[in-house]
Amino acid sequence: MVAERLAEIVGDKHVLSRQSELLVYNSDGLPGYRRQPRLAVFPGTREETIAVVRFLADEGLPFVPRGAGTGLSGGALADDIVVVGLHRLKKIISLDIENRRATVEPGVVNLRLNKHVAPHGLLYAPDPSSEAACTIGGNVAENAGGPHCLKYGVTLNHVLAMTVILPSGEIVELGSRVGERDGYDLRGAFIGSEGCFGLALDVTVKLTPKPQTVRTILADFTSVNQAAQVTSAIIASGIVPAALEFMDGATIRVVEDSIYAAGYPRDAEAILLIELDGLEAGVTADLESVRRICIDGGARNVRVARDDAERMKLWQGRKKAFGAMGRLAPHLIVQDAVIPRTKLPQILATIHDISEKYRVMVCNVFHAGDGNLHPNIAYSADDPSESERVHKAMVEIMQACIAAGGSITGEHGVGLDKMGYMESIFSETSLNAMCELRGVFDPQHRSNPGKVVPIHSCKEWHGVPGRAKREQEAAPLEAEPSHPVAT
Amino acid sequence: MSTAGIASAIRDCVAAKTGLRIAGRGTWLDAGRPVSANTTLSLNDERGVVSYVPGDLTLTVRAGTTLAEITDVTAQRDQWLPLDPFGWPDGTIGATLATASAGPLASSFGLPRDLLLGLEFVNGRGETIRAGGRVVKNVAGFDLSRLLTGSWGTLGVFTEVTLRLYARPAVDRTFVVDLGGPEKQVTAILRAIVTSPLSPYALLLLSASAARAAGLGESPVCLIRFGGNEAAVRAQVGALLQVSRPVELETKIWLAVRQLDGDAHSTIRLSSLPQRVVAHSARMLHDEVPFIRTCIDPRRGIVRIIDSGPHNTALQASPVGQPDQTDDRFLSRDDYGKSSEVIFERLPAEAWSQVSPTVVSDPLSRGIRNAYDPHHVLNPGILGD
Repeated sequence: MVAERLAEIVGDKHVLSRQSELLVYNSDGLPGYRRQPRLAVFPGTREETIAVVRFLADEGLPFVPRGAGTGLSGGALADDIVVVGLHRLKKIISLDIENRRATVEPGVVNLRLNKHVAPHGLLYAPDPSSEAACTIGGNVAENAGGPHCLKYGVTLNHVLAMTVILPSGEIVELGSRVGERDGYDLRGAFIGSEGCFGLALDVTVKLTPKPQTVRTILADFTSVNQAAQVTSAIIASGIVPAALEFMDGATIRVVEDSIYAAGYPRDAEAILLIELDGLEAGVTADLESVRRICIDGGARNVRVARDDAERMKLWQGRKKAFGAMGRLAPHLIVQDAVIPRTKLPQILATIHDISEKYRVMVCNVFHAGDGNLHPNIAYSADDPSESERVHKAMVEIMQACIAAGGSITGEHGVGLDKMGYMESIFSETSLNAMCELRGVFDPQHRSNPGKVVPIHSCKEWHGVPGRAKREQEAAPLEAEPSHPVAT
Repeated sequence: MSTAGIASAIRDCVAAKTGLRIAGRGTWLDAGRPVSANTTLSLNDERGVVSYVPGDLTLTVRAGTTLAEITDVTAQRDQWLPLDPFGWPDGTIGATLATASAGPLASSFGLPRDLLLGLEFVNGRGETIRAGGRVVKNVAGFDLSRLLTGSWGTLGVFTEVTLRLYARPAVDRTFVVDLGGPEKQVTAILRAIVTSPLSPYALLLLSASAARAAGLGESPVCLIRFGGNEAAVRAQVGALLQVSRPVELETKIWLAVRQLDGDAHSTIRLSSLPQRVVAHSARMLHDEVPFIRTCIDPRRGIVRIIDSGPHNTALQASPVGQPDQTDDRFLSRDDYGKSSEVIFERLPAEAWSQVSPTVVSDPLSRGIRNAYDPHHVLNPGILGD
């Protein structure tokens, strides 16, 4: 019934309701979690999207907005409810070269936007490693970052305005396309709301002029600690690199064994990938400073990429590192904690100890410049003993990061994955304040229910939205087996 | 007073059904709409550093700490908080964030909300809430730091904030360029500066009256500030010399510029697309209206109209690229059209009722206000609610 009604809006072939067809949508980029959606609908235009959301509102049905499904927090999973996939909304609506801004539909992929604006000497700065697949709408939902957000800031710093459809079906404009507005920063509140506040119909982003010069440096070390100390020294020097990335020995070797081999030294225990950009004269001076800091800090080699091809190769190894992990084992668990940058040496030592204690191989590849760790473990979820050790190791790593004064997530979002940690960093009252904010955008908690803030933290809200109504529906679409969490 | 003391003061007001006027140092209490509250909650004693880790470039302070105190503490470690709102530097960080006040450095270092990493605040029920954290990148939970910044105290009282610092640049130089020539020539200079690969820390255009008030002579001027390593600054100064005849000034000129509002009764901030502002800058700088100081940040697309005269002429000044609307003594928001936005920073008390509907009249803003301050005890009336 629901599927038929949705098909009337978007066309038969854009509604999936068979279990086999929906398999693709039962996980995101973090394969440890699986939830089977009840059905998936893919509107192709703004009007269809509005009609779909309004239909779901009229029926009181909960739903999960989804972009490319590259997220790493289990945030785009739909547990027996409707997935609203937005990847067909991929129009670049307008481009204002003079004022350096573009308005796009939510399904536009980062890389495509970048290709579109590159001929004008512009770029869209946020560059999550999944930039070849992920969408601007997903970026907005997660407040996505990427290596270059060290200098250029995260999605929030690059979105000027949005047209948003609230779960009620009401359409609102957040932010301003022409200037600065007073009143509450609803645009700021919406970005990073992980699909819990509604979905964006269009997004106006700021474009950044391409820097005059870009230099990429590869420094390699025989100890993790040295690389961590050098990271702190570069940050303390006042130089703001465009990116400052860290890969440990285990990661280097996995990448070098893969098709993404970048020519990293296989015998190094750590490398730093440091990018400087800006005016030629300034970059050249900073390059010398960085080289000196690296060598003083014990770097074995400091190599500067000679041309764009070499630069791209160095970056490809970094950006595809998670993909390369697929060589080790079928499943990958990755964390996203952020720690104060001075705590890097200490935390990396702690992670090493934890990995030995639980006999798991932790690979570290992360945004060192802002202290955003991505410890990851490749494992087989089919092996219960290994799964348990991996899970325990990850919990201990997270606890160590929290104890160091860190945050549980820097760019991947809370989703399902980190919800259990929210109470470790926020009080009940603070979590309730977040619930109240959500309640203003989505009083019934119908948009991406059960994510980000644990439901029991919400004083005014204890029900599971829509479930009662769903259960009363006369003709269920199909009998759905339950899918336990595989972590 | 502690956070607990503030929470208790708020709960007392809820019980007594009275409003609270929240004040930092009280240097700018006439900004925003008049507040209907009998009691003042002063954060003047809520000052001091809670935690400063220079290696992390983060600083946590109580909200009543002044910007000048932050400057002193961080300068000892060759760092700074690049936040230079218009006004006196003895204003508090809490007030700066609550009002989202920014200055010329914002075009390079971002708005106040970009420098706020985390905060503690007390809502209108007297509950203490923490949001964000002490690290430079954080997406844990919904972004209450953004929401609170610029909320004028109506969602909660800031008690403690964690800020992102920067290392002081090795070189920090400021230049002034005379813009007294014909409009066409001025526009050409501005276009050359704005479209060049120069990346100044700050770029500000002052009308003749503003320049005069800042002690910079009798012509409109462009102030430009370069920071970074020696080579980067030298290269930019060289590029600036190609298009103009800059004269170097001491960096303290920016303190004088920030105080252009000092004796004004009205400050109106217009914003529009940057190129539109550039296109109209020369005219706006040359159209001298008595008592009106105009201050333009072309990269942010901001025009500040500051009025210290006897007749509220600021309200009649022409908005960006619009024909003069001299007939309208008071312009409502919509008169400016969709090509620009307007923010009334400060107006005479009697003028507020005439300028526009409340800025938090939309259902979402109203819902948030009602959730965080259900009894409307926090700065009632300041946003027109």
